[in-house]
Amino acid sequence: MVLLSRPDPRTLGRQVRSISWQLAGSALGLSLIGLALISSASSELTTDYVSRQSAWILAGVLVLVAAALVDYSVLLRHALWIYLAAVAAVAAVTFFGHEAGGARSWIGIGGFGGQPSDFCKIATVLLLARRLARYRSPVPPLGGLWATAAIVAVPVLLIAQQPDLGGALMFVPVIAAMAAIAGVGVRSALAAAAVAAALAGALGVFALQDYQKDRVLSYFQPQTDPLGAGYQVRQSRIAVGSGQAFGKGFGEGTQSNLRFLPTPHTDFVFAVLAEEYGFAGVTLVMALFLLYLGNGVRVALAARDPAVLLLVVGLLAFIAGHVLYNTAMVVGLLPITGIPLPFLSYGGSFMLFCCAATGIIIGLDLRRFVNV
Amino acid sequence: MNLETAGDRLVLLMATRLKWLAASLAAGFFVVLSAYWYFQIVRSGHYWELAENNRLRVLRLEAPRGLVYDRSGQLLVENVPTFRLLIDRSLSADLEASVAFAANILELDEDELEDSLERYRGVPRDVPVLLAGELELNQVARFEVAGDMSEHPEFEIAASQRRLYRYGDQTAHLLGYLSEPTAAEQDRDPTLVAGDMIGRSGVEKLRDRALRGTAGERTVVVDSRGRVASSGDVDRIDALPGESVTLTIDLGLQQEAQNLLEGRVGAIVALDPRDGAVRAMVSSPSFDPSGFAGRLNQEDWERIVGAPNRPLQNRAIHNTYPPGSVFKIVMAVAALSDGLIDPEERVHCGGSTRLYDRRWRCWQSRGHGPLNLRGALQHSCDIYFYRLGRKLGIKRIARYAGLLGLGRRTGIGFSAEREGVVPDPDWSRISRGQPWYPGETISVAIGQGPVLTSPLQVAVMTAAVANGGYRVRPHVLADAAQPPEPIALDTEVLAFVREALANVVANGTGRAAGTPVVQVAGKTGTAQVIAQATWTRSEDLPFKHGDHAWFTSYAPVERPELVVVVFVEHGGRGSEVAAPLARRMHETHFGSPVQT
Repeated sequence: MVLLSRPDPRTLGRQVRSISWQLAGSALGLSLIGLALISSASSELTTDYVSRQSAWILAGVLVLVAAALVDYSVLLRHALWIYLAAVAAVAAVTFFGHEAGGARSWIGIGGFGGQPSDFCKIATVLLLARRLARYRSPVPPLGGLWATAAIVAVPVLLIAQQPDLGGALMFVPVIAAMAAIAGVGVRSALAAAAVAAALAGALGVFALQDYQKDRVLSYFQPQTDPLGAGYQVRQSRIAVGSGQAFGKGFGEGTQSNLRFLPTPHTDFVFAVLAEEYGFAGVTLVMALFLLYLGNGVRVALAARDPAVLLLVVGLLAFIAGHVLYNTAMVVGLLPITGIPLPFLSYGGSFMLFCCAATGIIIGLDLRRFVNV
Repeated sequence: MNLETAGDRLVLLMATRLKWLAASLAAGFFVVLSAYWYFQIVRSGHYWELAENNRLRVLRLEAPRGLVYDRSGQLLVENVPTFRLLIDRSLSADLEASVAFAANILELDEDELEDSLERYRGVPRDVPVLLAGELELNQVARFEVAGDMSEHPEFEIAASQRRLYRYGDQTAHLLGYLSEPTAAEQDRDPTLVAGDMIGRSGVEKLRDRALRGTAGERTVVVDSRGRVASSGDVDRIDALPGESVTLTIDLGLQQEAQNLLEGRVGAIVALDPRDGAVRAMVSSPSFDPSGFAGRLNQEDWERIVGAPNRPLQNRAIHNTYPPGSVFKIVMAVAALSDGLIDPEERVHCGGSTRLYDRRWRCWQSRGHGPLNLRGALQHSCDIYFYRLGRKLGIKRIARYAGLLGLGRRTGIGFSAEREGVVPDPDWSRISRGQPWYPGETISVAIGQGPVLTSPLQVAVMTAAVANGGYRVRPHVLADAAQPPEPIALDTEVLAFVREALANVVANGTGRAAGTPVVQVAGKTGTAQVIAQATWTRSEDLPFKHGDHAWFTSYAPVERPELVVVVFVEHGGRGSEVAAPLARRMHETHFGSPVQT
């Protein structure tokens, strides 16, 4: 069992050259832009978010390199154990973790805090990729799908229970994308969607907190309660709109610096970008995300192993889902829920998750010519 | 190998699906980007404005109200700093709790504060409104702390200015008072906002516009909790202070007049007969205008309005009374001007006479014996004037009374000045719906019956005699003098009347007004109240029935400089009650002996 692939002096040069620098570069670029935004948004706050985020970015680079060195075949082989460990960690946090911001999801690690649910995302994608790739026929049989569905349902329900609605929601695009690639039929997909909808409905009635219901409702009528839940949507939209084409400049965002904007350094960091750098800044960051995702898709397309392809797609779907939901939420297209923007939002464990995902994709890219 | 091929086929199939997926992802990006385009490019102006409204708050800079000086530059009204409590209702989590918190610190009744908030119902919630004025420093400190601790960010302390009337009730009617504008007034005048103060009476009202000045504006940056950022003003338009006003009033004379009326009900007016400049104008009882400077609650208001003898009423202009024998000046002028009598012709007074089938009495029941016009004025003989009245007729009397300024507004400019009544047959028909009875002319001849005049009107009438035939327009503002209006009166007639009035003080009923300081001329009046009860509407019936005491006077006899009218409601005899007060006024004004 070789976890790390041994560097081969003959192929090392070729390997370094073939590293997807665009993938790594866009990730680093986005992280640095995020750091600048956090520095602007937190200038009035007492906590030094900039140094902390810098530390997380450095840690993220290390995690990325480490993840790139890991042999994916080993990971895939032990996917079930990794998955079980991750689910156990999430369950532990769900029932014993301490509360932060109304949600029980943080495990204290040296004062920084980490979320096992982020680690669980990777574990779930690993196991899903392995299972879905096993069906070597164009359409996997429906019966086998239930076990697959359970793989997703357990962590989703646990995370939703914390309650971290956003975190649970972000599994949806992942399942959808991976199922679509694996060729799950329309009928099976509809059946699964119906079950998911029923589950979500039950969750909504029994498990949703009042503030969560308010948020969902306020999305539909943001003007009704300007200082309540709709206030955040409204202030965020004002931040975005007032940024105009080129923005107000670094540190000049009045919506973020005068604290009209909710959580400007985490979930609403994109609103800070929109306000201070305008549509130009928005376009640049979206272009960087497209560059990142495009390169990821290129890695997936080059894959010769279905499991690898599915793994890359699953990881990319997580990133893309967060990007699309967060940017749509900031401008008021989707209800506000705690979904951070990859690489840009302040927060350690999600940064590490993104870097780990990037590292895995880069590692898979490096080994595309290596036979399993 | 076969398996390998199947795997390859599957990968190829997946790759095709992935291309579709990537395309839909790109579409998703396009949709989101379009939304940003819409908000940041298409609707950017709207949101820019909303952001500016969020961060900018326009604070009003109050204009200090103009100061008021007396004629010699003595300050009568000034502004002193005060702290006012404002509340931004949009920042209050629980308005009731906020009010309770404020009531506790202010030691006020919660209901009272809620009532005052109720008045701002129509004002947008994020506009700070006045909750209380005149805070003490320790109260200010407690609200500041509550604001800093974010417990009660809704409270704001505003440094403001309060009106200080240096001489309190001595100038109360003259200077007037302030209060907040009503909602209707704010609608009419957009420069007014809740919490402003505007003049309600006296000089404060007369010159309100000029005194008020123009408020300025300060645009500041505030954060989401409404706290002003330290970055300085974004924009600032300084307030334009109100103009200062100089009055014609002589503070010393004004104070003396108020002191003289202490404990009495009545009015004293002093003016310069040459141009109508008012030197003193007081009404008693008076009130303390500082009670109006802050917020006046309903209870205080009712206490002032409902006090005995209506202290808010300025008796010099707001009320009219029968002039009594003071009116005999008008009779003399009318009779001489139309040449109807020989002033030397004597009329016998036996204490009473019979006219129009009625018995008319002289105040001197023993009778005065034979009197000419000069003697009749000197002793204020009623019988002489009864007969004169019958001779002149009501129309002629009314014409001269009007020329001399009775029964018409003097034009002093204060609101609610009363016209009074100079009756004639037309007035009787229109106002009373009944014909004029000749007997009434006999009453009017001695200033009784329906004739009603204000103390200020009597001053104007006296001034016209004193200045040789000019009706002055009384004014209290130094810059409001208008040339007196000439009235067609024979100067010899007026000279005769002036000589007779000097004789009244020298030898007649007005002796109590005589002083070694200056030679005074004047006329007493004692108006019977009970007699008018026969025609007055019942609700206007006075609460007492004692006589009104009048004394109108001027000095020096040659080249008069000061007219003094003293009126004491239900005071008794003019000769005994009013005349001595007039003497003190002249002594105060002329102080040292004057050359004539």
